[in-house]
Amino acid sequence: MLRNHFTLVGNFDNMLRETKISPSTYLIKQLPEATAFVDKKLRVVYASDKWVNDFEFTGGEVIGKTLQQLFGTVSKEWKQVLDNCLMGEAKEVGIERYYDSDKNEKWFEWTNIPWYDDKENVIGIIIQTSDITQRVLNEIKLEKLEILLEDKSEIAKIGSWEYDAVRDSLYWCDMTKAIHGVPLGYVPSLETGIEFYKEGYNRNTIAMAVDNAMTKGAAWSEKLQLTTAKGKEIWVMAAGKPIFKKNKFLGLIGTFQDITEEVEAQIKKEEKDRIVRSIFNSSYQFTGILDPDGTFLEINETALKFADLKAEDVINKKFWDAYWWPVPDLVKAGLKQVVKAASEGEFMRSEIVVFDKNKESVPVDFSLKPIYDQHGKVVSLLAEGRMIKEMVVAREKLKQSEKKFRALYELSPVSYVLNDLETGEILDFNSAFAEKTGYTKEDIAQIKYKDIIPDTHKKVHKDIMQQLKKISVVGPIEKEYLKKDGTTYTVLVNKSILVSKKGRKLVWTSAQDISEAKRKELQILEERKLLKTLIDNLPLNVFIKDRDSKKVLVNKSEIQFCGVSNENEIIGKDDFDFFDKETAQSSREEDLRVMDSFEPMIGKETINIKKDGTLTTFLTSKIPLKGIDGEVSGLVGISLDISDLKQKEEELRGLINVTSLQNKKLINFAHIVSHNLRSHTANFSMLLEFLIDEKDEQEKKKIVDMLITASDNLLETLDNLNEVVAININTNLEKKPVRLNEKIAAVEENLMAFLKNHNATIINEVPDDTFINVVPIYADSILMNFITNAVKYRDPERDPVIKLSAKSQNGHTVLSIADNGVGIDLKKNGDKLFGMYKTFHDNSDARGIGLYITKNQIESMNGKIITCSEVGKGTTFNIYFNEKN
Amino acid sequence: MRKINSIFVIDDDPITVFGFKKLLASLDLCDDIKTYGNGKLALDAIKDILNTTEDLPEVIFLDINMPIMDGWQFLEEFIALPIAQKVRVNVITSSIDRVDYEKSEMFKSKTHHLIEYNNKPIRKREIEEITKVA
Repeated sequence: MLRNHFTLVGNFDNMLRETKISPSTYLIKQLPEATAFVDKKLRVVYASDKWVNDFEFTGGEVIGKTLQQLFGTVSKEWKQVLDNCLMGEAKEVGIERYYDSDKNEKWFEWTNIPWYDDKENVIGIIIQTSDITQRVLNEIKLEKLEILLEDKSEIAKIGSWEYDAVRDSLYWCDMTKAIHGVPLGYVPSLETGIEFYKEGYNRNTIAMAVDNAMTKGAAWSEKLQLTTAKGKEIWVMAAGKPIFKKNKFLGLIGTFQDITEEVEAQIKKEEKDRIVRSIFNSSYQFTGILDPDGTFLEINETALKFADLKAEDVINKKFWDAYWWPVPDLVKAGLKQVVKAASEGEFMRSEIVVFDKNKESVPVDFSLKPIYDQHGKVVSLLAEGRMIKEMVVAREKLKQSEKKFRALYELSPVSYVLNDLETGEILDFNSAFAEKTGYTKEDIAQIKYKDIIPDTHKKVHKDIMQQLKKISVVGPIEKEYLKKDGTTYTVLVNKSILVSKKGRKLVWTSAQDISEAKRKELQILEERKLLKTLIDNLPLNVFIKDRDSKKVLVNKSEIQFCGVSNENEIIGKDDFDFFDKETAQSSREEDLRVMDSFEPMIGKETINIKKDGTLTTFLTSKIPLKGIDGEVSGLVGISLDISDLKQKEEELRGLINVTSLQNKKLINFAHIVSHNLRSHTANFSMLLEFLIDEKDEQEKKKIVDMLITASDNLLETLDNLNEVVAININTNLEKKPVRLNEKIAAVEENLMAFLKNHNATIINEVPDDTFINVVPIYADSILMNFITNAVKYRDPERDPVIKLSAKSQNGHTVLSIADNGVGIDLKKNGDKLFGMYKTFHDNSDARGIGLYITKNQIESMNGKIITCSEVGKGTTFNIYFNEKN
Repeated sequence: MRKINSIFVIDDDPITVFGFKKLLASLDLCDDIKTYGNGKLALDAIKDILNTTEDLPEVIFLDINMPIMDGWQFLEEFIALPIAQKVRVNVITSSIDRVDYEKSEMFKSKTHHLIEYNNKPIRKREIEEITKVA
C-alpha cells in the first residue's frame, strides 16, 4: 500500500501545483455547505471553511493531507464507500459518529459524489457533510422513550425508572422490579433503591452519582453490584440523568440493565487471558507476536530469558534485528522474506540456529504462523521457536546409526529379507540376499516369500511361521532356500515380527548361508577323522599334554602302552599315574624345559620304566604348543618305541664285535699262515740253492737232511693250522651241558703219570653240581692244555699245585685254574700269551700252539679267558663258559 | 776291502742259521760269526763284550719271531745300550706284514744304528750288500 503511494508521488505533486493556482480554491473555501474535494488517493485538494471548522481542522493545513491523517482512522465501511465512489458510483449518503476535541459526540451526514474532470474521468471525490448531531440526539431520545413506552427493554433486560422530585416518588418498571427480584407490587423509594447496592464502593458510588445529578446536573452510568431481594448478587449497568426545567430540578430518569452474564463472561475472559498469558510466558517454547510488518508486539519470558534480554529490547523492534540471529546480515534478508510470506498468509516453518545468551548456537524449530481477524485478514504473526538441541543430536545419532545400519544391511554377508506376514509379499532384501538367491531388486514385486522355500521345506516353513506368530521371534533354525535358478542352499534363519506404523505386520528374516560352513564342517570332521585315524594308526605314541603335563589327547598306541582300554582312563592324568617315579619325574622335567624354553626336544632317546618295571626305550620328541594367547599351552609328544631296535642294535653291535674279532682272527691267522709257511719255504729255497751249488757230497747230504727236517716242520705247521681252522670252521658243533667235575676227573686220569712225574697236586674245589655248556671234546682239550701248561711252567723251586674252582657270574660259568708256577710278565708278554708259535719261556717243549688252540676253542663257544699272573708266584686263568647257546 | 770284525746271527731256526753261516763263509767277509737262538742270549753276549775289550759285532742278522726274547724286544734293549759305534742290524724275517716293516722303521728313527728290514729268503748277492760295516 505504501509502495504504491511512493510511486504516485510525482503525479500528485503536479496535480497539487495545478490546483493551487486554480481560482476555484477560493470559491470552494466559501461554500456554505461543509465540502471537501479529495483526490483518488483521498488527499484533500479543496475544502470549504465550514468543513474545516466542523471537524476542527483549524489548527493546521488541511490541503494535501489524507483523510486518514485528518481523522486518524478511516473506517472500513467508509473506505468501501469512497472506493465505490472512485469507481463512479454516485451519491452515497452515510451517517457517521465523530468525537470532537472535547470528546463531545457529534453526528454527521456524509454525501460522497465522484469528482469528474472535463473529460468525465473520476479524479476524486466530493465530500459534503452536514452536522446532524442535534437531530440524532433527539432521535435517540425519542427512541429511548419509545423503548420505555413499548417496554421493548425485556429483550435486552433493560429496565427503566423515573424519580419525581416534586412528589418524591420513585417509579420502577416491571423489568427493573424483576432485576431487583421484587414483586411487581413493590413500591421502591430512593433510599430503599440505593440499599439494594452492595455496601461499600457500590452503594457509595450510586449515592454520590445521584447527589451529583441533583446538585450539579451530571448524568451517570456505572457498572455496579447489587444484591437482589432474593439474595442473588448481580452486576448492573445503572445509568441516570437529572431533568431540569428552567434550572429547576424536576427529577431523575434512568435505565437499569442486568449485565451479570456479560460481566461474568468478561471476568471469565480475563481469567482466561491471564491463563493464556501465563502459558504464553511460561511456555517452554519461545513465542512472540509480530505485526504483519515484522515488528515485535509481544514476546514471552522464555525467549527473553534465553537471550538474557528485556522486553523493551525486543518489543517494537523488527523481528530480523533481534539479538539471537547468528549472522544478522546474512539472515536478515531471509527473515524478511519469511515474514513477508507469513503476512501474506503462508505458514512458515524451518529449522534454524540461534544464539543463546552465551553466544552458543542452539538449533530451533522455528515457525511463523499468520493470525487472521474475523475478516480473514492477517493481523499479526505468531512466531514460535522450539529448542531442538536434543532432538537434533538424537536425530544426528539416528541418522548415523541408520547409515550404519544401512551399510551393515547392504554389506552384510548375511541375507536380510523383509516380507509381509500375511501375504508373504517381499518388501525389501539386501544385496547378500540378491547375491545368494540370484534374485534382483527388480524381482521384488514378482516374488513372495514362499517362492524361496523349496517344496521339501514347505512343511517346516509352515511350522516356523506358526511358531513365529505365537512368539514373534524364532531362530536360529536351519532350513533350505530355493534360488532363482532352482537350486537350494542351506541357511540358518532368524525371524522376528515387527509392526509398521500403519499396523502392517512384517517379518524380518536374516538368513546366513551355512552351506559353505556346513561343507567345511563336514570337511573338518572328515579331516579330523582322517587325522584321528592317522594318529591312531601311527606306530608311534602320540600325546598332548597341558601346561601341568596332564594328558589331554592320546592315540591308540599310547593307550595300549599305558595298559588301559580307553583314552578316558588317561585324559587328565599325568606320567606319575602310569610310570615309575623316576621316569615320570624326568619326563616332567623335560616337559618343563620344552615349555619354558619354547625349544622343541627332537628325537631324544629316553628310557621309560612302567610301574610294573617294564623297560621301554623310546625315541621321544616334544614340541611346545602355543595357545591362542601366544602363551605356551602345553606340548605335543611323539614317542617311537625303539626297544626292539635297541635290542637289534645291541645284537648288531655284538655281531659287529664278533665279526671284527673274527676278521682280526682271520687276518692274524692269515699272517700266521703266511709267516709260518714263508719261513719254511724260505728255508726250502735257501737249502735248494745251496744244494745246487754244493760239490761236496758230505755237505750235500747234510743239506738234504736239513731239507727233510724243513719238510717235517712244514707238515707239522700245516697240521697245527688245520686244527685251528677246524675249530674256527666248526663253530656250530653242538654244545651240551657237561658236568665239569666229570671232565676234570677224566683229564686227571689221563694225565696221572705226567702229574706224578712232576709231583703235581690238583686241588679241585669245583662244586659237584657245576655244569658247563660246552662242546665236550673242547672241554677235554681246554682242561688238558691248562693243566699241562701249569705243570710245564712250574717253578723249579717248588712242586706244582693246581687249584680248580668254579662260580656262576652273569650268565657264565667261570672256571678258575690257579697254579703256583713261574708266572708270566703280562706287561711284557701278555699279547703273546695266546698267540700262535709264541713262546716266552726257555722251555724246549714250548711250541706256542696249545694256548692258541685253547683260546680258539673257548671263543668258538662264546667264552673268554682272563689271565692274572705274577712272575715267581703263579698264574690264574679264569675261563668263562657261556651258559647260553 | 776290510773284513768285518764280528757278525752276530740271532735266529731260533737252525736251518736259517746254517744258511747264514754258509753264505757268509762263502763270501769270506768275516772270520768271527757268532749265532744266538734268541734275543736274550745275544743281548747277554753283547753286554758281556761291553765289559771287555773284545770287538762288538759290526753287523747283526736279527730274526723277529723267537722264544724268550723276540727281535723287537732285543732291539728295544740293544738301542738302549751305551754303544758309540754304529752297528748295522739287518732284520731278517719271513713276515710280509706291513706292521713289522713299520716297527723296524720306528726303531730306525730312534737310534744311530743302521736298521735294515729284509725279507727271507736272503740270496747270496743280497747278503753281500747288507753285510757291510755301517
